[in-house]
Amino acid sequence: MEAPGTTDPKLRLKGVAKAFTAPRTLKRTLAVTGVDLAVEAGEFICIVGPSGCGKSTVMNMIAGLDMPSSGTIEINGVPVAGPGADRGVMFQDYALFPWLTVEENIGFGLRNGTPGNGLSRGEVEARVREHVELVQLAGSETKYPHQLSGGMRQRVALARLLANGPDVLLMDEPLGALDAQTRLILQTELLRIWGETAPQAARKTAVFITHDIEEAVFLADRVVVMSRHPGRVRAVIPVDLARPRDEHIRATPRFGQLSEEIWGLIRAEAYEAIA
Amino acid sequence: MSDGLAGALAPRPEPRWATPARGAALPLLLLAAWQAWATTQPDITRAPSPVQVAATFVRLTASGDLPVSLLQSLGRVLGGFAAALVLGIVLGIAMGTSRTVRAAVEPIVESFRPVAPMAVLPIAILWFGTGTPAALSIVGYAAFFPLLLNTVHGVSQVDRTLLQAARTMGVPRLRILRKVVLPASLPSILLGARLALGVAWTAIIAAELAVGAKSGGGGSGGIGAMMFVFYAYSIDLNGIVACMIVIGLVALAIDRLFRGLERRLTPWRH
Amino acid sequence: MTQSVAETSAARLAGTAETGEAVHAVAPVSLVGTLPVLGPTTARRVFRHPAVTSALSFACFILAWWAVAVWTASPIQLPSPPAVASALIDLAQDGELFDNVSVSFVRLLISMAAAALLALPLGFSMGLSERVNSYVDPLLEMLRPISGIAWIPLGLFIFGIGGTLPVFIMAYVAFFPMLLNTVAGVRGSDRKLVAAARTMGVSPLRIVRLVVLPGALPTIIVGVRIAFAGAWAAIIAAELIGSPSGLGFAIEWYRELLMSPNVFAYIIVVSAVGYTCDLLLQLLRRRLTPWASGAELA
Repeated sequence: MEAPGTTDPKLRLKGVAKAFTAPRTLKRTLAVTGVDLAVEAGEFICIVGPSGCGKSTVMNMIAGLDMPSSGTIEINGVPVAGPGADRGVMFQDYALFPWLTVEENIGFGLRNGTPGNGLSRGEVEARVREHVELVQLAGSETKYPHQLSGGMRQRVALARLLANGPDVLLMDEPLGALDAQTRLILQTELLRIWGETAPQAARKTAVFITHDIEEAVFLADRVVVMSRHPGRVRAVIPVDLARPRDEHIRATPRFGQLSEEIWGLIRAEAYEAIA
Repeated sequence: MSDGLAGALAPRPEPRWATPARGAALPLLLLAAWQAWATTQPDITRAPSPVQVAATFVRLTASGDLPVSLLQSLGRVLGGFAAALVLGIVLGIAMGTSRTVRAAVEPIVESFRPVAPMAVLPIAILWFGTGTPAALSIVGYAAFFPLLLNTVHGVSQVDRTLLQAARTMGVPRLRILRKVVLPASLPSILLGARLALGVAWTAIIAAELAVGAKSGGGGSGGIGAMMFVFYAYSIDLNGIVACMIVIGLVALAIDRLFRGLERRLTPWRH
Repeated sequence: MTQSVAETSAARLAGTAETGEAVHAVAPVSLVGTLPVLGPTTARRVFRHPAVTSALSFACFILAWWAVAVWTASPIQLPSPPAVASALIDLAQDGELFDNVSVSFVRLLISMAAAALLALPLGFSMGLSERVNSYVDPLLEMLRPISGIAWIPLGLFIFGIGGTLPVFIMAYVAFFPMLLNTVAGVRGSDRKLVAAARTMGVSPLRIVRLVVLPGALPTIIVGVRIAFAGAWAAIIAAELIGSPSGLGFAIEWYRELLMSPNVFAYIIVVSAVGYTCDLLLQLLRRRLTPWASGAELA
C-alpha cells in the first residue's frame, strides 16, 4: 500500500494513535491506534467501518482539529500542526451557518479566512458565483439554510468546501443525512464535481468517510476498512472499477464482489456494535 | 475533550483544585474589603460589617424574632402557593386540552400577566385590608401565572403519537389524560411549580415591605415587615443585611428542594 | 396571534426563573393549538374560531366585571368599567398619565442599558473562558437568590427616595437573566461551526464575532426579554415604596386617596405598556435573527 517512487505522497499517516481522557474519571481510552496510510494526489479514498471505529477521529486529526497522541500526519511531507485551508472539511451535518444565506455560506472562508488572502473583492465574488453555479444553486443564493432541502444543503456545503480551493477534501459522512434516492443522485454528482472525467493529476485528493459499503465502492479508488476497540486499519481494498463510473456499475458482478468482500470484513463487528 | 468553548478554540489542561479555589477568591476578597471599609467608618453611620451581620443574625435567631417572622412569611407563601397550584393546574389542563377554553381564557390571562403582583397590591389592600388575606392573594396571584403557563405548555407539547398509540390500544379518554397526558407534562408542571414558588417568595417580601411602608409600620409581621422596621424605626443596617441573606438562602433552598423533587418524580428524564 | 402569545408566555414564565435552564423552557415554542384528548363536539364547533372566542370572552369578562361592580355598589373597592375608562381618559388628557409612563419608561431603559453593558461583556468572557467563569460564577450564584425586592430597604439607605433606587433595583433584576443567557448562548454555540471556521483559517477573534456572536444572539435576545419582564415587575415595587414618581408611585398615591378608578386605570396602563414592550422585543428578535424561526430558538 505504500506508494512507489521517491516523492512524498499527498497525505501520509504514520503510526497514528489517539487516546481520549474522560473528564471525570480521568480514564484514558484508545480511540484509534497504529493507523498507517498513504494517499496519492488525486486519489479518492473511502474509510468504512462499524460505528465507534474512530473514522471521524482520524478525519479530525487530518483536518488538524484534533492532535494525534502519537504518530504523525503529513501533507506533502510537512507535519500537520493545526487546521489549515489546504485541507477542506465537509462535516456530517454540513455545519452551515444558519444566520448566513447560501451565497454568504459559500463565501465565508473566502471573505473571512485564509483562502481569500491575496484575492481582490471581485475575484472573491467571481469565485463564489462560479461555485454557486457549479452545484446548481443559482436562484437560491439569498435563502437561509433552514429554507433548503437536505440535498440542497449538502450542495451548499460542497460548494463552500470547493470554493476555498483546498488540495485535500475531507468529507465526514456528507451524504449520511439524506434519503436513499437523493444519495444515489448526489454520489454521481459528487464524482462529476470531484473531476472524475479529468486526468488524475487534475483531481483533488479526497478522503471520504461513510458507513455505506456500496457508497464506498462506488466512489473510491481504494476503500480503507477500519475495525473497532480500538480503531485500526483492518484492510485496504483497491477498487478496480473503471472511471468514469455511472449508476449501471452497481449492477456489475465486480461491484457485488467488492461489496461482499468488504461486508465480510465488517460483518462480525457490525453485529457486535448493535448488540 | 475539555469543557467550554475556550477548550474548542485552544485546549489547555487544568489542575483539579484550581476551580474551587478561584471560586472562593472573589467572595472572600469582597468580604474582607467590606469588613475593612466598615472598621474605618465612624460608629454614627451605623455602617454594617460582616462580623456585625453575623452577630445580629445570631441575636435575632436566639431571640426568636427571625424564626417567627420567617415562619410567618413561609406560611403565607405556602398558603397562596397551594391555592395557585390547584387553580393553575386545573385551568392549565383545561386550556391545554381544549381549544375553546384556551381561546376564551388566554386573552384575559395575557392581559393580566404584565401586571406585577405589586401593582395588584393596592387593590388587594382595598379589598382585604393590610392583613394576611391581602398577602395570600398577592402570593397566589404571583404564583398562578408560572403554574398555569407551564401546565398549558406541557400539556400542549405532549407527543401526539403517544396519544395515538394509547388510542389504538383502546384506552378511554379520561384514562389517557391520567396515564399519558399527566406524566408527559409533569416535567413542565414541576418546572412551573418551582418558578412559581420562587416568584411567590419574592412577592411576599415585596408585599410585606410595602404594607409595612404604607401602613405606617403597623403591618402584620413577616420577614419583609421586619426589614422595613429595621429600615424605618431601629435603623439597623446589620439586621437588614442579615434578613437579605436569609431571604437569599430560603430562595436557594426552595430551588434546590424542587430540583430534587423533579429528579425524584420524573426519573425517566435524568 | 396565537404564536406570538405562546412565545410571550414561554419567555415570561421563564423570566420568573432567572436561570439558564429557563432557556429550555423557552426553546420549544411550537404551541400549535392544543392537545386533542377530548374530541370536538358540535357545540364547540360554533366557537371554533379563536378570534371569535377571544373577543367573546373579553366582552364577557368586562360585562362580568361591570355586573359585579353594580351588584356590590362599592365604587371604592370595585369601580365600574365606564368609571375606569373615563378616569383613563382624564388622566391621559391632563398629561399626568404620559408623565408617569415616560418617567417609568426612561428608568426602565436606563436600567436595561446598564444591565446590558455589564452583563454582555461579562457573559461573553464567562462563556468563552472557563477561567473567568470559575472566578466570577460562585459570587454571582451567591447573589442571585437575593431578589431585587430584598435590596429595597438597603437601597433606600444608600440612594434615598428618588429615581436612583428604582433604576438600581431594575438593573439588578435585569442583570442576571441577561448574563445567564449570554453565557448559555456562548457556551451553546455549535462546536461544529467553530470547527468549520477553523478549517477555513478564520482567526479566533473573528470566530467570536462571526460564529459565536450570531450563534448566541437568539439566546441573548430571550435573556433580554426575560430581563425586561422581571424589570417591569420590579419597577412597580420599587416606585411604590421608594420613589416620588412613576407608575408604581401613581398607583399607590391614588390608593391612598381612595380614587379607585385612577388606580385601575394605571394598572391597565402597566399591562398595556408591558405587553407592547414585549411585542416590540419579539419584533426586534425577528429583525435581528431572521434565520431563527421562533421554534428554533436554541
